[in-house]
Parts: sequence; C-alpha cells; structure tokens
Amino acid sequence: MKCKAAHSKLIFFLERELPEPEMKAVQEHLAVCPDCALFAEEMKRTLSILETEKVSEVNPYFYTRVKAKLDRPSEIQLSGIRSSVLVRVLQPVAFSIVLILGVYGGVKMGATGAKTGSAFTAEQEMVPYLNEMDVEPLETFLME
Amino acid sequence: MSDQEIIEQLKQGSEAAFRKLVESHQKLVVNTCFGMVHNREDAEDIAQDVFIEVYRSIQQFRADSKLSTWLYRIAVNRSLNHIRDNKKHKWFQSFEKDEEAKSRQLFQVESSAADNPGYEMENKQRAAILYGAINSLPENQKVAFTLNKYEDLSYQEISEVMEMSVSSVESLLFRAKKNLQKKLYQCYKKKCM
Ligand SMILES: [Zn+2]
Repeated sequence: MKCKAAHSKLIFFLERELPEPEMKAVQEHLAVCPDCALFAEEMKRTLSILETEKVSEVNPYFYTRVKAKLDRPSEIQLSGIRSSVLVRVLQPVAFSIVLILGVYGGVKMGATGAKTGSAFTAEQEMVPYLNEMDVEPLETFLME
Repeated sequence: MSDQEIIEQLKQGSEAAFRKLVESHQKLVVNTCFGMVHNREDAEDIAQDVFIEVYRSIQQFRADSKLSTWLYRIAVNRSLNHIRDNKKHKWFQSFEKDEEAKSRQLFQVESSAADNPGYEMENKQRAAILYGAINSLPENQKVAFTLNKYEDLSYQEISEVMEMSVSSVESLLFRAKKNLQKKLYQCYKKKCM
C-alpha cells in the first residue's frame, strides 16, 4: 500500500470501519512508514478528545432553571410571536414592493424602448436584495 | 415510570411528570447540544429551551413516535438556530477591532476547555483544533457526526432523528469523516499542534 492510499483510509482505520484485509494493509503500512504513523497517532489523540468531552455529570440545578424560565413571562414565546409576525407581515410587504418595482421598471423600460428581457433580470436581482438587506436586519434589530 | 406514562401524565399537566422527564433526559439533551455548539454554558441554555418547547407542545406529540427521537430533533434544531444566530451576530460585530474578536475567541476556547478539570494545555489545543474542524462541516454532516459520536446513536436511530434513509446517513458520516481527516491533515502539515 502506498502512502496516498493509506492516508485516505486512516480515519476509517482508526474507527475500525475497514474490511479486515484493508485494516491489515493499513496496519502494515503504518509499521514501515513513520510519516503516516505519526499523523495517525496525532489524529487518534485529537479524536480521543470526543470521548473526554462528553457530559458525564448532570447539573443539579438544571430542573430549577428550566422551571424558572418556564414560569417567567416567556422571552422565547414573545420572540417567536414577534418574528413570526414580522415574517408574516414584512415578507409579503417586501414582495409587493419588489413586484411593484418590477412592474414599474418593466413599464419604464418598455417605454424607453429597452429590450423586454431586461425587466426580468431587474426583478430577479431585486428579490434577494430586498429580502436580505431589508427584512433580515430589521428583524434582528427588533429582537434585540 | 416509562416514557409513555410520563407523556400521558404530562399531557394532563402533571408537574411531577415534567420534572421526571427533565431529570431522566437532561444528559441526553445537554450532551447533544454540547456536541453541536461546543460550549457548556450555551449547551445548557439551549437544553433548557428544548424542555420548555417539549412542555408547551406536548399535546402535539404522537404516541407512536419515540420520545428520545423527538428530543434529539428539537435539540438539534435549536442548536442549529443558535449557531446561525451567532453567525448573524458575528456579521454585525465584524466592524469591531480584530484584536478584540481574537481575544474573545481565545477566551471562549479556554472557558469551554476549563469546564473539564485536569485539562492540560495540549488537550485544550487539541480540543480547539477538533472543534474548529467539526464546526467547518456542512450542517447535515455535523448533525449526523454529533449524534453518532456524542450520543452513540446507530445509523438507524440517526436516520429517524434526521428523517432520512439509513444509506443517506451512512454517506453523511462517510463524508464528515473524510472532511475531518482533511482538516486535521492540513493542520498537521502546518504544525499547528
Ligand atoms: Zn506512508
């Protein structure tokens, strides 16, 4: 097995997910290639962090905090309502503006004798622009 | 009390049943959120909201589905929202001085690593590298990887939580590992350890 082949299988080797012959082939390569062996060791140690990082003990105050949050006039619910109102009201408003602008632009361009196709591109470009630049920040500002 | 009994009583408004539900599933939810956001404090905060959502929407819970599947799904969705909000926030803060942002980042890494007693410098660094690599994964790959690694869920269980086929989960995990290996190798070559 060449370095490149061994290399592409290292993480699956460490996870013991390769078929037996391939496990053996990688193992044999690592025994004779210090370069790949070193990287394999590094990766093994880094991946082992996953095991040590798991939550092992539970916070004894957890339930009390959930209960306190639940009993508080809820921020979650409020922000949920606010954002859904915003989405329900502002999004159609933004779309209507885009539509009107598009139609207006189309009429304008038609009047000035521009190609009919350009009205389409103008509208397509404006939709994402209005959505992202106008609706998004407004929503975020109001929530804060 | 079985999950089924807890849910029945919770639907009738029993606070004791809610307490039971939180206490018996707290670790599962906090761990999942932690796997997604890699910060203990944030993970607990999101987990609290998960249980509040469960409490408020228990009437919609269908008796034929598994409680844990539902909890995983809410935990994953709320964590993803948290990550997206954070990104938006970062965009607004991007006008701040670079130095400030850097020191805050460093502090975050340290504070999340310091949660675990007996952590050495090397492990802190490794954790930061690993989290960086995991965070760079596309959302779906990250979710599958977290459920598999932090909660030891089988492909079948992950497929139920993510509402996709087992073979899609397999492919997500395969790509997630490939990507992680690539990131870790780039880091290794740059001698960032
Ligand atoms: Zn080699």
